Amino acid sequence: MSTRSDGGARIAIDGVAKEFGGLRVFENIDLEIGEREIVSIVGPSGCGKTTLLRCIDGLVRPTRGEIRIDGNKVTEPPRGVAVVFQQFGLFPWKTVYENVAYGLRLAGASKEQIRESVPRHIELVGLSGFEKAYPYQLSGGMQQRTGLARALATEPHVLLMDEPFASIDAQTREILQFELLRIWESRPTSMVFVTHSIEEAVLMGDRVVVLRGRPSSVYEVIETGLPRPRTREVLSSPRFNEVREHVWSRLMHEAEQAERELQEVR
Amino acid sequence: MSAIPQEAALPRTFTLPAGVQRAAMRVATGVALLVLWEVLVRWLAPAFVARPTTVARAIPDVLAQRNVPPGTPTFWGSAEETVLAALEGMVIGVAAGVLVGLTMGRLRTADRLLRFYVSAFFAMPIIAMVPVMELWFGYDWRVRLTIVSLGAFLPVCLNVYDGTRKLPAHYVEVAESYHARWWNVWFGIALPASLPYLLAGFRLAVGRVLVGAVIAEYIANLKGLGSFILFDARTFHQPEMMVAVLFLALLGVAVNAAADLATRRLLPWYRRAE
Repeated sequence: MSTRSDGGARIAIDGVAKEFGGLRVFENIDLEIGEREIVSIVGPSGCGKTTLLRCIDGLVRPTRGEIRIDGNKVTEPPRGVAVVFQQFGLFPWKTVYENVAYGLRLAGASKEQIRESVPRHIELVGLSGFEKAYPYQLSGGMQQRTGLARALATEPHVLLMDEPFASIDAQTREILQFELLRIWESRPTSMVFVTHSIEEAVLMGDRVVVLRGRPSSVYEVIETGLPRPRTREVLSSPRFNEVREHVWSRLMHEAEQAERELQEVR
Repeated sequence: MSAIPQEAALPRTFTLPAGVQRAAMRVATGVALLVLWEVLVRWLAPAFVARPTTVARAIPDVLAQRNVPPGTPTFWGSAEETVLAALEGMVIGVAAGVLVGLTMGRLRTADRLLRFYVSAFFAMPIIAMVPVMELWFGYDWRVRLTIVSLGAFLPVCLNVYDGTRKLPAHYVEVAESYHARWWNVWFGIALPASLPYLLAGFRLAVGRVLVGAVIAEYIANLKGLGSFILFDARTFHQPEMMVAVLFLALLGVAVNAAADLATRRLLPWYRRAE
């Protein structure tokens, strides 16, 4: 495992395995994610990337091993950790403003704090003027901006991204990727970015973790070595293509193997 | 090419706006029914049987409580009794229905303990219990209060239960990831997400409560519109009786219309959300 250059570990995943009713999804996951580091997790569908993310947030208990955030063992959703969900997870009966305020209200923030923080985060994600809109009035991209603002409003140390842009059209996705990078530059946190898009994994990550196998485990951790702040030029750089092809070959190999196994079964 | 402007230039027949058309159609059915009623009664029935013209003529007298013989129930006094009882029943039944429905929806144990019986009570005609309730409580307001409260409780409870069971799991997950406690999930997530179901239960409850109040008044001979109707029917004051029936019908329609309006105003998200 590579060592990090920046600060102490915030997330330490140690020998984690998860079973659902005897079906082992992943095992022997060892991973450390540093302060101000973005780690992307890619793997074939069903490899348990999202389940691993839920374990980090304490929504799901690992069957074996443990996860520590700033040295504290995770047993329930920890303070200072926020999740951005694939299906946005906005409450349809709340306006943009109330959705963004949700985490703060549950944390018992004062009225002044909420009045100060919510508009600031709505502006940060570019949704000023839509405070009173309901989710059904917003496009998918705008809904996920709201989801992002809700997560950021709690000022988290750790951001967990669960395929956040997977159900958003391609153009909007690219816009949001760079906006997220811009926001992260202004306020770096440690971030775990689960995605099934190899391009996205390489674009976002300092490192890309490839999960493979059945049950899956960490097959390879790739340092992207791409400069920050990341701009659109990164997409056309030789290094980006090189890393993308590398990750691609690691994942394709398994896809082919799975195909062969299926044919043997037949 | 030239066919299009020509067609557009065709003289158009006069048409009313869609809303006016719909209202006109609704009124037309009502007028037809009233005419049919009037004709049938005049043709076939004895003179004391109520028909639209005699009912219309009775309305001012009943509402102004003119020509009321001594010992006869007055209209507004009766209406007040029935409406207040219905209101009490709605408050008690909706509050209890929401609480029990949420509990059954969120706690599997409560579901297993209670749901069978709530469903069974919902399916059975509670009115059938009035005679025995009289033996338990006596011929007084408690019979009616029990009937109307149950009448509101059962549909609200079952609907809130349904809504809570259908709560999308990811709402709960989002709430838990933001450290929601159980009461935040129950009242902050499950209840608002179930509001469309609660409203459907509310509509059913309004009907059941009005029917329950009137029938309890018939059987237990309590002061109210039920006994007003019974008295007038038995003393050949059918037009006066029909005024009370119309009042009850309008009350039910008005409460449901108010609930619809409140839904549109307060829950703009509801018809369009997923």
